[in-house]
Amino acid sequence: MLINEVMNKNVITVSPDTKLSDAYSLMNTKNIRHLPIVEGEKLVGVVTDRDLRLATSRLAKKPFDIETPIKNIMSHPVQFTHPSDPIEIATQIMRELKIGCMPVLENSKLVGIVTITDLLDALLLLTGLHQPSGRLDVRLSNRAGELARLTSIIAEKKVNIHSILTYPEKDRTIRLVLRVGTIEIKSLAEAICNAGFQVIWPVHIACVS
Amino acid sequence: MCQLIYHPDYNKYDLGQDHPFNPRRVEMVLDLLKELGCLKQTVKPDALGPQDLLGVHGQDYVNAIELVSEGKSLPNIDNYGLGTIDNPIVKGMAESARLIAGGTVLGANLLLQNKADKILQLGGGFHHARKNMAEGFCIYNDLALAIKKMTDVGWHVVYIDLDVHHGDGVQEIFYSDENVMTISFHESGEYLFPGTGWIYELGKGMGRSLKLNLPLEPFTEGESYLEVFNGVVPPALDWFKPDALVVQAGADAHYSDPLADLMLTTQDFEKLYRRVIELADEKCKGKILFTFGGGYSLTATPRIWTILYLILMRLDFPKELPEAWRKRWENKIGKQLPHFLHDPNPAFDPIPKKPEIVNHNRELIHRILDAVVLDWL
Repeated sequence: MLINEVMNKNVITVSPDTKLSDAYSLMNTKNIRHLPIVEGEKLVGVVTDRDLRLATSRLAKKPFDIETPIKNIMSHPVQFTHPSDPIEIATQIMRELKIGCMPVLENSKLVGIVTITDLLDALLLLTGLHQPSGRLDVRLSNRAGELARLTSIIAEKKVNIHSILTYPEKDRTIRLVLRVGTIEIKSLAEAICNAGFQVIWPVHIACVS
Repeated sequence: MCQLIYHPDYNKYDLGQDHPFNPRRVEMVLDLLKELGCLKQTVKPDALGPQDLLGVHGQDYVNAIELVSEGKSLPNIDNYGLGTIDNPIVKGMAESARLIAGGTVLGANLLLQNKADKILQLGGGFHHARKNMAEGFCIYNDLALAIKKMTDVGWHVVYIDLDVHHGDGVQEIFYSDENVMTISFHESGEYLFPGTGWIYELGKGMGRSLKLNLPLEPFTEGESYLEVFNGVVPPALDWFKPDALVVQAGADAHYSDPLADLMLTTQDFEKLYRRVIELADEKCKGKILFTFGGGYSLTATPRIWTILYLILMRLDFPKELPEAWRKRWENKIGKQLPHFLHDPNPAFDPIPKKPEIVNHNRELIHRILDAVVLDWL
């Protein structure tokens, strides 16, 4: 999944001379938390709602006046990403730098913005349910061909696979959660168990092995 | 008075020899009742016409189902959820589904005309059928069609789904409808088909806080099930003030069911049915329409539905199941049938983690009442 598929394409921006108070009300009315700051076509900074609140807080050592131009408090240089970057790279960068958004630049032009909310949506899409399905939870050994062996059993039963999710476990095994298009999951689980896989869900599957 | 609805052609809704949705389940009930000498008069419904389905289903969907049911082929039929392992294309299935739907709708009409206050439809309960998609053995949603019949004249209807799978089709069809409350008890979608029925699915628009879901933990036992039922259903009925209840009485929450993981016994089903009927008597002048539904254990489902029948007809339970019936069906299904209507006690070994399961389910009561409190003022 690429940034291009999850980013917001209608980016709301302000100029460096925008007053803090105007930026604040813009965020409120648009219900957003991140504002890229552009000068002409050039991205020069980013401000979050938290930056604004901290800068103007009475608790700050020297609070900024609400008429201050935003360029005085903006973060720069800006960490940005590219539309064709995979989302996992963007996620890793945002996690490492503890930032909540990344502007998306293509040929030095601002074409989008990706925020944590977009990445959560992506997570939902990756893990979520989009069609009625039953759940199979299987443990695989970590070697080539195991997944193919498993899915061929499902194919033989003429069952459609709606989603596949895998994650590594501590003991070098792989957990695989499949959502498959059938209500009758147990006969499928039995066939998988008989093929030597460890079925975690449904539990108590009786197999011959 | 309880009116029975049945047509011998119901058993033509047959999705194949090895398919779990098996017409023998109902035949076993009827045969047992005959053997016990207590099968009362049934009324035969007429089949609905394809145009009668349009209040609930889309025109294109109905056209497609009718066409493939006649044996014609359609290129994109899998877009409608058909031709899958759960919903194979079987010749004549549309007509038999319309006949069964006709039975459930007849039940609604009898309630509306005040000809009976309790109805048992000996079939139906196709709660997975969506507006434009077949799913989970269901093509036409007889429950939604019957409910629609009642709301069309201004009734408030509470739909209670006791099937172990989430009643997603009925919920979807009435998701923003202010005249229908749906309450579904099911094994959590984290584990079980269809994967929906979460507590945050509360309805939208005018239907907000009228769609309740109780996703129970796997291995939930009857006591915990009834605790959740009694914690949620009475306050919901008090607030919504229905004119009638429609109950999908799927029997697949039984511990022996091959498709799911809840642990109800026949004794629990008896308590549950008695409670539902008691609530109908208290809250909506006894008006209640039961359909069958899921229930794939051939040794348990006929006993559970017989219990429902005997309760509705106010008949005594037999001491033992007649030997003639057992022998007849043991041959046909290749399984031993129990000697008694009720399960042995205890029916299974103690469930590990029972306290966690009970606590988790108990939390559901608070979470759902908390979520709807502002709308229920």
